[in-house]
Amino acid sequence: MNEPLFWLAPAAALVALVVARLFFLQMRRQDEGTDLMRQIGQHVRLGAMAYLRQQYRIMGLVFAALALVFAVLAYGFGLQNPWLPFTFLCGGFFSALAGYIGMRTATLASTRTTAAARSSLGQSLRVAFRSGAVIGLTVVSLGLANCVGWFLLVNWLTPESADNYRLVVITTTVLTFSMGASLQALFARVGGGIFTKAADVGADLVGKVEVGIPEDDPRNPAVIADNVGDNVGDVAGMGADLFESYCGSLLAACALGAAAFVGDADLQGRAITAPFLIAGLGVMASILGVFLVRTKEGADQRALLAALSRGINTSAVLVVLLTLPALYWLGMPNLWGTWGAVVTGLVTGLVIGRATEYATSPSYTATRGIAEAAESGPATVIITGIGTGMMSTVVPVLAVAVGTLGAFVLSAGFDMAAVTQGLYGVAIAAVGMLSTLGITLASDAYGPIADNAGGNAEMSGLGPEVRARTDALDSLGNTTAATGKGFAIGSAALTALALIASYLEVVRIQLLHSGRVVLELGHSVEVATRDATLPDFMAYFDVTLLNPVVLAALFIGSMSAFVFSGLTMQAVGRAAGKMVVEVRRQFRENPGILEGTAQPDYARCIEISTKAAQREMVWPSVIAVVTPVAVSLLLGVAGVIGLLVGALCTGFAMAVFLSNAGGAWDNAKKYIETGQHGGKASPAHRASVIGDTVGDPFKDTSGPSLNILVKLMSIIAISVAALAVS
Amino acid sequence: MSATYLYLSLIPQALIASMLEPEAFGRYYAVGTKVHSRGEAIFFELDPAQLPEGEFPLELVPERCVAKADGSPKKSVYLAIYRVLSRVPVSAMKALHLVTRDGKTLSLERAPYEGDSQRRAHLYQEFCPIDPMVASLLEPRDFCRAITDTQRPVHVPRIVFSELALRELATDPINGLANDLPYPNIPHLRDVLASLLSSDKKQSKLVLKQVNEGVFYRTIRGGFYVGDQSDFAFYRFPAVAHLETHHYNWWRSAQAPARDI
Repeated sequence: MNEPLFWLAPAAALVALVVARLFFLQMRRQDEGTDLMRQIGQHVRLGAMAYLRQQYRIMGLVFAALALVFAVLAYGFGLQNPWLPFTFLCGGFFSALAGYIGMRTATLASTRTTAAARSSLGQSLRVAFRSGAVIGLTVVSLGLANCVGWFLLVNWLTPESADNYRLVVITTTVLTFSMGASLQALFARVGGGIFTKAADVGADLVGKVEVGIPEDDPRNPAVIADNVGDNVGDVAGMGADLFESYCGSLLAACALGAAAFVGDADLQGRAITAPFLIAGLGVMASILGVFLVRTKEGADQRALLAALSRGINTSAVLVVLLTLPALYWLGMPNLWGTWGAVVTGLVTGLVIGRATEYATSPSYTATRGIAEAAESGPATVIITGIGTGMMSTVVPVLAVAVGTLGAFVLSAGFDMAAVTQGLYGVAIAAVGMLSTLGITLASDAYGPIADNAGGNAEMSGLGPEVRARTDALDSLGNTTAATGKGFAIGSAALTALALIASYLEVVRIQLLHSGRVVLELGHSVEVATRDATLPDFMAYFDVTLLNPVVLAALFIGSMSAFVFSGLTMQAVGRAAGKMVVEVRRQFRENPGILEGTAQPDYARCIEISTKAAQREMVWPSVIAVVTPVAVSLLLGVAGVIGLLVGALCTGFAMAVFLSNAGGAWDNAKKYIETGQHGGKASPAHRASVIGDTVGDPFKDTSGPSLNILVKLMSIIAISVAALAVS
Repeated sequence: MSATYLYLSLIPQALIASMLEPEAFGRYYAVGTKVHSRGEAIFFELDPAQLPEGEFPLELVPERCVAKADGSPKKSVYLAIYRVLSRVPVSAMKALHLVTRDGKTLSLERAPYEGDSQRRAHLYQEFCPIDPMVASLLEPRDFCRAITDTQRPVHVPRIVFSELALRELATDPINGLANDLPYPNIPHLRDVLASLLSSDKKQSKLVLKQVNEGVFYRTIRGGFYVGDQSDFAFYRFPAVAHLETHHYNWWRSAQAPARDI
């Protein structure tokens, strides 16, 4: 690579990996507490690893089978990029590796966070947050290193030519790395979501409601599965989701950058370097931000939040400040426009985060309205929660709409005809939004660590001052999780948009590959495939709303988001049902459990959740994989674009709705527990518990899984573009 | 030889002999041995010497309340199940034990009663022999005397009840904040209190015929009372801070969601 600034990206990835390793070792050296604390931590750790082993075994089989299919298509029929089997496997492997490191770190850290909470709030925050940072930095370093590595490798092995399309071919080839990561993310998110909610709902329905034992009570057979589930869903699931978004946005920006400046190899190089440069600066800013998160002993909730915000905001400001001179040094054309796109992405992420917090925090009227509705019973809780969730889509959708338009217009230099440059700006906005992923994911992964630490403190019977500290950390984790979810949803929307745009570049390559060098646009107008603009492709494939194929595919895309959500929700219901039966059985057959004289069979509950998660994620995965392939074969390019747009628009709005409705129900219950509307044990509290239970699969299974669906469908469409073209 | 205990259960009324100590008995009584039934329990440990002679078949205790063949203790021998409280004098009642649905027991000892003449409105949850919720202008001892007064058409021979918090409703039933009160039908409670405070015609009024929500531990004010016309005993309920520090597991269990979800 000729651009010296390009090398900042691999250097930053390396530094992030080293810092993550140092933080990990630092965490390992911390005291793990009493024997009971260790024992509880060990149960959770073994459960988490058992789940991962089972998931990776099945994933390994699926990946091997798909890689074989891709290899046959590539080498047997010439219908696939020959790199695809390798990039696909590599993407899946590194996403899984990031998940494994995340789970291992989180399960080791929660016990140590509890142990640190015995002496100091500041120390426990440090242990929990830096462990979260291990996860955040591992995800970005592995993602960035892989994107850089694959780009360099494919660039090195692709013969030099005077062809302007060489870099487009390289970048669209590397883009398929995302497919493996995306499929792995689907497994992690859907499987993790089903696992965690089956355990959670099962533990609550029998333990809390039927038997009357409190939350996190060690007598509940499903309590360890519930704790494992927090890690499976929020650490491995969220990590894989954002790993995929990070790589997807980065590689889509490279592909669109190469396509936008196809006439000038020098500019192409800079346009490809820019996203790597922004990502590298973001990683360095994130590392600095992590060191700024610290607090004094005796800090209250506001001080804890201020400490965390200081780290996140400083990282974001640093990215904004450093990107401008870096892009200037790089010699980017339309410097202010590109920088504006970065800022637009960051601001869009922050706006979505704030909107999510507004929709779900008990400090604001939306959630308090649900709590008030609880006085009239469970039906009004459900109705108000659904309404609140639907209304909560306004700001995130408008933010993405304005962000997309802003990034497009700025990057295109206010020339609406410069479509490729504009779409490059949209991809750059996604890169900008995810540039500080190192620290935003740290604050998100910190949540389940603090949550598990609280559970450990409860089960270990630690004193009230320790529980007060872990409760403060947990409460902070709930607040930061809202911001994290906002970034995950917003970045998924922008990344999917960038991937749809990249799809047309892949189609161009496939057309050239199949020998179609001229596109007939009608009315005797012809244009060389190489020189065709994106509007030319739209005209060639008749991608208009008047084309019934596009309309039909739009409907199918829209429907697929609903079917996918319905399947994941029903899966949670079935899996939770199995868990309920098992927990009841254990209480019935072993009365000593409730008396506290016998230990429940935790492993059996973990096994039930694990098996249910693996079995139940089959059909949602099939929908995500088969739909774009089938539409490619049956409806062609116009159909695929209709499908992807339909799925993205509906999926994005639904993801926001489901996540926010679930979050608002959860926090309405917590608000009532603070003593409002009758407080604990009141009729309103009972109604709010029902709302919370309904909201569990909304916010932790179906909602987050939709992020993956929209990206996975796009990346699969890219990977099978040859089918649509043929 | 193991000791034998006599317990007076209030939910439901029963006199039970057992070889289990109060905590173990509470666990057994709340969740059973097969976990087929669960429910809150409140019971007194009794002093057999103070029980009226011939009122209960205590002669059955040494005969039936003996260890089983495998050496395990006899958990329960029912000696009476009908109108038991009325036949047990307050002087025979020792510690009061409060058992949550999942079998955690909190034991309360008798405490000196200091009266509460400053306050006008009170809310009582009765447990035995009937279980309504009643608002009253009478402080606990006077309420106990009034409800056990045989001169009144409505009376019971002896009663066990707790006082519940009213927060701002105690002084301002119409506009006072009731956010933290878990009782059903708060508007009705407001009406009842307003009616009581605005007229001297009645000293007590029924709020709920029967309380189905279990014991409102979170809003207990003062504690539990047992008494009749001649005798009165008070069992102080610990402050929340004390419960969180010293009886955390019981307190968490007592606040778990109610049964009818």
